[in-house]
Amino acid sequence: MSDDIRPNRLLQIGAYAVAILTSVLFLYPYWWMLVSAFRPTRAIMSAPLRPWPETLSFQIFSEIGRIGGVNLSTYAVNSLAITTLSTILGIIVTALGAYALVRRPKAPGFALVRYGFLITIMYPYMLLVIPVYLVMFKLGLLGSYAGIILFLALGPLQFFLFEQFFRKIPNEVIEAAVIDGASEWQILTRVVLPMAMPITATVALITFLLNWAQWFPIMVISRSPDTYTLPVALLSMNSELGANFQGIMALAVLITLPVAALFLLAQKRVMEGMAAGAVKG
Amino acid sequence: MMDALGGLSRDRVFYLFVAPFAALTILFGVWPILLSIQVSFTASATALRPNPTYVGLANYIAVLADPIFLASLSRTLLYTVLSVIANLAFALGFAILFDSSLLKHGNLFFRLAIFLPVVTPDVAGYVVWRWLYDRSFGAINAALKMLGLPAFGGLSSVDTAMLSILIAELWHHAGFYMIIFLANLSIRDRALEEAAHIDGATTWQRWWHVILPQLRPALVINIVYALIQFLKTFTVVVVMTKGGPNDQTNFVSYYAYQLFDQARYGEATAMATILFAIVIGLSLTAYRIGDREPGK
Repeated sequence: MSDDIRPNRLLQIGAYAVAILTSVLFLYPYWWMLVSAFRPTRAIMSAPLRPWPETLSFQIFSEIGRIGGVNLSTYAVNSLAITTLSTILGIIVTALGAYALVRRPKAPGFALVRYGFLITIMYPYMLLVIPVYLVMFKLGLLGSYAGIILFLALGPLQFFLFEQFFRKIPNEVIEAAVIDGASEWQILTRVVLPMAMPITATVALITFLLNWAQWFPIMVISRSPDTYTLPVALLSMNSELGANFQGIMALAVLITLPVAALFLLAQKRVMEGMAAGAVKG
Repeated sequence: MMDALGGLSRDRVFYLFVAPFAALTILFGVWPILLSIQVSFTASATALRPNPTYVGLANYIAVLADPIFLASLSRTLLYTVLSVIANLAFALGFAILFDSSLLKHGNLFFRLAIFLPVVTPDVAGYVVWRWLYDRSFGAINAALKMLGLPAFGGLSSVDTAMLSILIAELWHHAGFYMIIFLANLSIRDRALEEAAHIDGATTWQRWWHVILPQLRPALVINIVYALIQFLKTFTVVVVMTKGGPNDQTNFVSYYAYQLFDQARYGEATAMATILFAIVIGLSLTAYRIGDREPGK
């Protein structure tokens, strides 16, 4: 049987040609971004395809030390702090919420919470952010880190991953703990949480990657560039007239490199987690 | 008695667990959506006052009579259809290729290359693409020139702006749809293929009659996800075209945002509600068609 379905040589060569060509096309923007970050704008204009920089100088990173009157380091710290805190908060809130909704699906009001969440994630995200501005205003959270972090905490993929995991916990495991006289808090902390560590790591990783990329809610909830993150800073830099091309590429590198590295270190977990979370939704 | 009390306190704990999640969902989901719908029935000038003037369906009527909105809506729908087809065809094609035995070496590398843009922050990715398309800086036209090919209009030509955005978005999104197809392919029943093979089915017949029907779950999920994704296309427009040239990429999300920026809150939220209704309607239709098993 293996003789019959062994692909013929020509088909195999064709497959490699397609895969290699597509990979090169998909990865080229990264290479171009990286090289352009190290080349003066004028040099790029005269030879856009040059595959490596003329000289290796890191001076551009000090040239973009201030963007829109705010230090680059401020944007970087904002990015790191907002992403980390919203990830931690999101995990705690989503895990507890999904756990409660799975354990007591028929408790009065729980179905309503679930539907409210499902409708929220169906709403065109960008258009949700606009009324969120009004809500933030009413809550006095406009321009605050708290407002940004609270808004970024919830996400569909995170919820579905946790919900799916909690549904798979056998009822007998919980029943046994109940019979042993464990309180719900003890069941959560001593039985469920230890089991949930791997899925929590997956959700943490994916949430970090997704929230690092966020820009629109942050821009809308902010009152000044002081609470902007790196992607928002990049966007305002990109919208300037007579844009500093090399600076834009350098900033894009700073935004892309950390998450690309994180992804490559944990690619299996990220890809499997994203597929699983989506399949549930 | 003790049992009843125990049951009560046990349920109460779950309310405590769900409370933060419910609070965030209400504050930053349900409330803003209701607020948006409410504002869509008020006069823009009074929308943010404590006692706004209600104007009934006037905003909806104004929006539906606005030629820019109607053009924007039809362009959004066209773009969505083209993007869904292009992304899913690309994703399915590569999922099949990577799942086959054709690529023994480098399979993981190829998958990573196509998936990396999914986790690359969209603003950064689209900024790079914007400049790749640029006439004077861009690598794309420089490469075409080197190969002796005609120049590509990119983002500045009305004929190619939508295509350029579509390509950049495919780069960013297709890897996600691909891994969903791959996950589905990896759990399929391979015994069926062997049986078909023994029965003398050709490779093509095996794919069409045995494997593809098993990919129905991934296909439905991907269609729904892609529909929602491309109907709300926004970031790529902000970064690359600002709706231009000549409104060619002025999709509904972006147009509504522009109106909001001009303090035309009533019309902006009416558009949001219309788009929301379209998203829900199309997603439910896709689910319903997907759930209908053939022959049942």
